[in-house]
Amino acid sequence: MGTTVTIEQNAEAAKACVESLNSRFSDAGVTAEAVAQTSGKKYEFVRIICSPSQLRAIAKFLKLEMGVNHCAMVTGTHYPEGSADRGWEVAYHLNRWPIANVEAHTMTVLKGEDLKGDDIPMGFEIFIPLPAGDSPSVPTIQDIWEGADWNEKETWDLVGIDFEGHINMHRVLNPHDSPVGFHPLQRQHKIRYHDFNEMYDDPQGFGRKPVDEGRVK
Amino acid sequence: MAEMWITMGPQHPMTHGLWTLRVKIDGETVTDTEAELGYIHRGVEKICEARDFTQITPYCDRLCYVSAMTWAHSYVMAAEDLLEAEVPERAEYIRLMAAEVQRLASHLMWLGAFGPDIGNLTLMTWCLRDREMFLDLLQELGGSRMHYNYPRIGGVKRDIPIGWANRLKAKVKLFENRINEYEMLLDESTIWLVRLQGVGYATAEDQLDAGVTGPNIRAAGVNTDTRWTNPYSVYDQVDWEPAVEKPTSVKGADCYDRYRVRMEEMRQSCRMLLDAIEKIPGGANTHYQPGDEMILTKAPTRAPEGATGFSTYECTRGVSNFYIQGGGDSRGKNPYRLSIRSPMFITIPYVAKTMIGYKVADIPAIMGSFDPCIGETDR
Repeated sequence: MGTTVTIEQNAEAAKACVESLNSRFSDAGVTAEAVAQTSGKKYEFVRIICSPSQLRAIAKFLKLEMGVNHCAMVTGTHYPEGSADRGWEVAYHLNRWPIANVEAHTMTVLKGEDLKGDDIPMGFEIFIPLPAGDSPSVPTIQDIWEGADWNEKETWDLVGIDFEGHINMHRVLNPHDSPVGFHPLQRQHKIRYHDFNEMYDDPQGFGRKPVDEGRVK
Repeated sequence: MAEMWITMGPQHPMTHGLWTLRVKIDGETVTDTEAELGYIHRGVEKICEARDFTQITPYCDRLCYVSAMTWAHSYVMAAEDLLEAEVPERAEYIRLMAAEVQRLASHLMWLGAFGPDIGNLTLMTWCLRDREMFLDLLQELGGSRMHYNYPRIGGVKRDIPIGWANRLKAKVKLFENRINEYEMLLDESTIWLVRLQGVGYATAEDQLDAGVTGPNIRAAGVNTDTRWTNPYSVYDQVDWEPAVEKPTSVKGADCYDRYRVRMEEMRQSCRMLLDAIEKIPGGANTHYQPGDEMILTKAPTRAPEGATGFSTYECTRGVSNFYIQGGGDSRGKNPYRLSIRSPMFITIPYVAKTMIGYKVADIPAIMGSFDPCIGETDR
């Protein structure tokens, strides 16, 4: 039978993480809560909402105190019709997994059911709303998790979020000679076929009007 | 000797796809590297903003043409989280089996491509022969050979056909013996050992910090696998153990360990398949009509603004994530934003850095052992 992390372990770890985050950061206005997935096994993860200036402090706390060792993804979103204090948003997805280096010719075989405390795997989600404007910017976490490096490059390349302090920022998916300020996932850029409606309005030409339409016979 | 930059790619046997590795060499020694990606960037994330949730599944199939089923499954899980859809247990079993058959096919494609890198052309013909058995099984499910469009939000498109279970059992049992044949071919081959052992070391902690996941990290001696750390589907009900390999050095796993762990992972997939086919609710030789509540539940088609969906999935090359925000165009039928984490997008720059200090001739061995796939990298 396959090993697994039970839902009780997951709930316990989520509760401990939320308590520890809230006791450390609630004075600063950061909110952390445990949120359950709405389908599948309904396991919980920790959702944190903070401001850009608090990001690095929270990231360091997560890495050093709570053992978060993996930065999975960085997602930027553009809300051109959003409110003045949420014109953009950056979402970080992080993971904690029980991983340690091993000696040569040995291996660690963990049983999910036996894990305790900070060893229980847990997912983290950090939302950072950014004010509307032309220059959304958050501090980089490139030096905290190396895995954030190319994720931040990609987010800047596609969405145009600026990561302050990011070393060696360059285009990764778009061509290197793309125009400055062109970030295709911003909402003002439409997929091109939106302009070519005639292709979809009458693909087979059935709507064609007869040449003598309107003429009295 | 003066150092110089050489460019490997975009057309180079080492790349396994379209990308460029720029290598700075001093004689035969690599002193610096730079990865350049994006040659087949298709803008899938942007296209998805103009598609409704059911229309996105085929695009996710095409993210990785070697492992289409796992990517579609990963997307569908995130969409179910967003739309709050439940999946019947029989459908979860069918999805598990489809994903594990796909994992076998994907690892065989990797091994088949890795063999010629090292100079073993026999391996490619053997692996493609066996991969075709599993592609036939998937073709029976999805109707096409590579891009299946098989998982649905809330279940699967069709039930397994009558007799599929028997064919699966026969093929998996045959293949378990074939794995032994591969090992006889490879583990006693001097060329194979000399070219892979002691090359491309990477420790578990370094890899995880850089974002590398999946079999590459399990080769370094830890059995972390999202199939048990972030449980989904019915992996807790079938018989399996995460594949893990003892690294041969304190410097971490070398190319040989990464090859070994994938062979073990194929064995575990076989074990899982044989067990799942016995345990599937409703029986393996019954066929429910498409849309039957045993295999598909009705899911909402619109997601409200502010709703989010997220999935963590053990893809064949590492952990894939989908993050979806609801409330897009067509009054919520489209996602507002869909973001994809591709394991290889993070891994390739890391692998490029691990090559520093090795010889130019080691580059194909190191790169191939991490199993790159450019379709998912560039999205």
